[in-house]
Amino acid sequence: MTPEPDRTDPTDLTGLADAVRARGGELRAGGTDTGARQRSGVSAGPFTDIHGAAGLHGTAALPDGGLRIGALTTLAELAADPQVRAGWPALAASAGTAATPQIRAAGTLGGNLLQRNRCWYFRNPHVSCLQKGGAGCPAREGDHHFGVVGGAGRCIIPHPSTLAMALLTYDARVEIHDEEPRSVADLYGDGDLLHRADHLLPPYRILTAVRLPAPLPGERAACHRATSRAHAEWPLVEATARLAFDGATVTHAAVAAGGVARVPLRLPEVEAALIGREGTPEALAAAAATVVARCRPLPQTGYKTTLFRDTVLEVLEQAAGATAAAQEH
Amino acid sequence: MEFEVNGTRRTVDVDGDPAAVEVLRDRLGLTGTKLVCAAGVCGACTIQVDGEPRVSCLTPAARLAGRSVTTAEGLSGHPVARAFAAEDALQCGYCTPGFVVEAAAFVERWRAEHGTTPPGRREIAEALAGHLCRCGAYEGIFRAVAAACAGDHDRAPTGRQAATPRTEAPEKTDGSARYTTDLHPDGLLEGVIIRSPHAHAHVRSIEAGDVPLALLLPPDGVVRYVGQPVAAVAAPDRAAARAAAARVVVDYEVLPAALDVHRARAGEGPLVYEDKAARKRAPGSGETTQLVPARWRGNLRGPSGMSKRPAAAVRRIRQALAQNPERVVEGVFTTAAQTHTPLEPHACLAHWAEGTLHIQVSTQSVKRVAELAAERFDVPVERVVARAVHVGGGFGCKMGLTSDVVAAVELARLHGAPVRVVLDRDEELTDGGYRPGTRIRLAMAADASGDLSALAMDADSDGGVSVGGSVAALARFMYGKAPRRLRDFDTVTHRPPGAPFRGPGGPTLCWALEQAVDEMAHRLGQDPIDLRRRWDGNPKRHALYDWAATLPAWTGRRAGTGRYRRGVGVAAANWLYFLDPVTEVELTVEDGVVVARCAVQDMGTGSRTVLRRAVAAALGLPETRVRADIGHSDTVHGPTSGGSRTTPSLVPAAADAAARLREALGGPGVAARLDAAHGLRVTGRRPRDRRGYVTPFTLGGIAVGRGFTGSVQVAEVEVDTRLGRIRPLRVWSGIAAGRIHEDRLARSQCEGAVVQGIGYALYEERRVDPATGRVLTENLEDYRIPGIGDTPEITVHFHQEGFEHVPGGGVGLGEIATLPTAACLANAVHDATGWRPYDLPIRPDRLLEGLGT
Repeated sequence: MTPEPDRTDPTDLTGLADAVRARGGELRAGGTDTGARQRSGVSAGPFTDIHGAAGLHGTAALPDGGLRIGALTTLAELAADPQVRAGWPALAASAGTAATPQIRAAGTLGGNLLQRNRCWYFRNPHVSCLQKGGAGCPAREGDHHFGVVGGAGRCIIPHPSTLAMALLTYDARVEIHDEEPRSVADLYGDGDLLHRADHLLPPYRILTAVRLPAPLPGERAACHRATSRAHAEWPLVEATARLAFDGATVTHAAVAAGGVARVPLRLPEVEAALIGREGTPEALAAAAATVVARCRPLPQTGYKTTLFRDTVLEVLEQAAGATAAAQEH
Repeated sequence: MEFEVNGTRRTVDVDGDPAAVEVLRDRLGLTGTKLVCAAGVCGACTIQVDGEPRVSCLTPAARLAGRSVTTAEGLSGHPVARAFAAEDALQCGYCTPGFVVEAAAFVERWRAEHGTTPPGRREIAEALAGHLCRCGAYEGIFRAVAAACAGDHDRAPTGRQAATPRTEAPEKTDGSARYTTDLHPDGLLEGVIIRSPHAHAHVRSIEAGDVPLALLLPPDGVVRYVGQPVAAVAAPDRAAARAAAARVVVDYEVLPAALDVHRARAGEGPLVYEDKAARKRAPGSGETTQLVPARWRGNLRGPSGMSKRPAAAVRRIRQALAQNPERVVEGVFTTAAQTHTPLEPHACLAHWAEGTLHIQVSTQSVKRVAELAAERFDVPVERVVARAVHVGGGFGCKMGLTSDVVAAVELARLHGAPVRVVLDRDEELTDGGYRPGTRIRLAMAADASGDLSALAMDADSDGGVSVGGSVAALARFMYGKAPRRLRDFDTVTHRPPGAPFRGPGGPTLCWALEQAVDEMAHRLGQDPIDLRRRWDGNPKRHALYDWAATLPAWTGRRAGTGRYRRGVGVAAANWLYFLDPVTEVELTVEDGVVVARCAVQDMGTGSRTVLRRAVAAALGLPETRVRADIGHSDTVHGPTSGGSRTTPSLVPAAADAAARLREALGGPGVAARLDAAHGLRVTGRRPRDRRGYVTPFTLGGIAVGRGFTGSVQVAEVEVDTRLGRIRPLRVWSGIAAGRIHEDRLARSQCEGAVVQGIGYALYEERRVDPATGRVLTENLEDYRIPGIGDTPEITVHFHQEGFEHVPGGGVGLGEIATLPTAACLANAVHDATGWRPYDLPIRPDRLLEGLGT
């Protein structure tokens, strides 16, 4: 039996962190991911509610032109925020296309970054796996159709956070209570080592905000999810791109992908292939094709190699303005 | 904790950190809020919190403190609820309250921004992307939301207009319709089923201490799949029942399991059924289980088949292969298993009172389930009453004495209290039934004049421990009299059993046969509709071919060479006409109203409405003077809602009863005579069809009538050749099932059938862990059913001739309407890309691999 959680959870960060340290379990923000795992029996809790904490909501412009977004800002708020839409459109678009309207209305930025993975073995309460303290990965010998297409880690499920992928392209940093800020990439570290968790923060650490640097002048951004159904589906592969141009020449490129690796991936090889070149269709295709070299597909994820390449190409073309018309279906 | 619900202040405790849905349903009795997926995927539990839609399954109840909550009950009389009822935006209604709550918020937002300019399909689909309707009533939902935005339902209708197309729609839209899962009598205990964690084991012993235990094991004490019911326990609430279940110690002797279908095909692997007695107990996945005998070789059962001159067929194909290989189409087609997953899970509430067994059960067959229960629990059949007033979908999987019923009845007897067993979604998706996956080897030859010369088809049905797959057999009834060898096999493994699913074997047959015919048309350089018209002797389908051939999409330009390619495909189907010839309808005059009774049930197909209107029309009464009282077994015999037999059984019996009542009342002017006729009662019987039936006698309330139903569908798709997504744009569904008794409801059935066919074609795939036999797609996130955004524009066309020998002139159409859809989409994909999908579903990875990107 799990102890009854004390429903009058603290509202100050130190108190919240202490509460989790004392009772164990997890912090709970929007409750969409924790709720699903609680109901299915994968997580025994208890859950310490962070949603009452002050100062974790909303967006604030920073003096350097950047933006600070409170960790409890919901995906729906992010998607609708005029500042975010204007300056960091890939983040707004990612937040506006993930999951379903109800989940976006409840799910938070912080919760999205720190959510658990979607592996059907991990999410099945009757199955043991590395992520639940078990000895092996049943997906490796079993059904890993939705698995990673690269990396050498022991857990082979992709990281689920769409927002993390988008934030990687913005070189965003996260603020953490009682810790130095770190880059979004440093929330996850080396994916090959990430088989007991989906991020590197201890359960009592509170991610308080995300800091976005100022946008580049004239930059264009795009994000895309490759799915089979129209809505409400975890993507097979997803990608985000930000491009800035001087005339036809790419002056800045930031590209990231999800659904392919244990952690959301920034793709420096794609960026390097673009910067300083004209954004011609051939150059975009060549840049996207560079991702193939990093693919080490599992027996059932061979299809993701080309899908990875072509999803990256999709966002490059969209960001370059090439396929704007095609998207108007 | 204090909060406000539908305008009333409520105080509840939130000890134990319950989800909002538990508090609303279990403590406040607001059962309009349905719990389906428990994972925020389906939206059935949607409530408004301060006006904002939230999935209450993932909302901690504690978050509602100080908030204002609106549930479906609080939106009773809301224009959106009225719109859903008036536009018939529902079938079974189980998802409906969630849709209404979400749509109400959307409509208010939309009207604030756009006035009464209605939104397009895209805006509506995006707003409702977090909801799933398994019946596929999305076309009606589009209509209802657009109409509500346009202000069409702002005022309550009066008089004649107040009648909704579906009798019970008002209760289903405001959440007051009580399903089995919503019933909560005093003293209720909750039962949970203990299930096998092993694919194959012998249960040595079960230790339960002093906990009363209902045993669910087969007589040989062997479990044959992960998730097989072993026993059940009950307690005052689910948490306590689960805790009690966890204390039960089952000693399993784990045995080697047959999990590999390839080995089963060769008859190999540890035996699933050791002897004749065990084989006889194998559950059936087809419409007729083990009616057709077949031999067994290890884990391979078959062939059973319906060949016509098989030796000639094989000879002709061999000859053609040697001499005219261009006129032979060969292929290996596969289909994935498709899970029914009705949104109301299998559920039963049982209690014993004075020697009578009362079961409230989510079933497609109140009569049959009562009879089976009487047999199983050894009570006279008149001492069993089964009730199913509202049923949240079935699609074929709720027809027998399922484990939820057995467990609830046994536990109720053990505890001397009412006991309810409701499957969780993971149980439903594991052990609730599915359409077996198949591998079909097909060869077809055309002769020099382009006629069908021969057909050979071997179909292996992969239904786990179940048998009786009939796929190839159905090819006997299509495309003339050419010789054909049709063989069905069951490849039996230690995995959960399949169950009959809407047109068992039919969509699967079409997947192979209709693609092969399409391929042959290309080989012969013929238009695919023309070739079918030539091969197919069925006059009703000829009328549909004529209609299909004139569709602008068919005659227009197609394909293209760019990234996005459009294609148009056609497919046809044939289905049997089933009926229950001993159906009766009883009419009683009660307080000036005619009450029609029959032991039939309405799982969303509209049988309640069909009965009521048939009686009203035959008596010349307004609908308000007739009430249909169905969904209980303790009245005159009614049909099982399966095999598309409900309407053709019910309507003629209703007409007969009406004629008898008119006579008993003493003549015309029925309305005026009713008030003085309180208590008058007549029973009508279903008259025989002219020329009788194909089957000489009735077996289990089913007969095969004369004539086949037919379907011809045309689909237009758009294929993204880069990222592999297929978008169905439009589907035209032509149906020949004779006269349509209730146009609106029949159209809804046909539209939903197309939506399920799209799921079969593109998304749905039951996946099982190869090492353990555990079902992995045991949640609605991983088991992917179509959403509103995946719904094409659907046009339904009825050809209403050809069943004049049936009283009333019409037969059922729930099954025929879903048969050709998947094949039709596959042919459209081929038309768009030149690549033919042999494996179903047509996932993005398969498409991209096929296109060689």
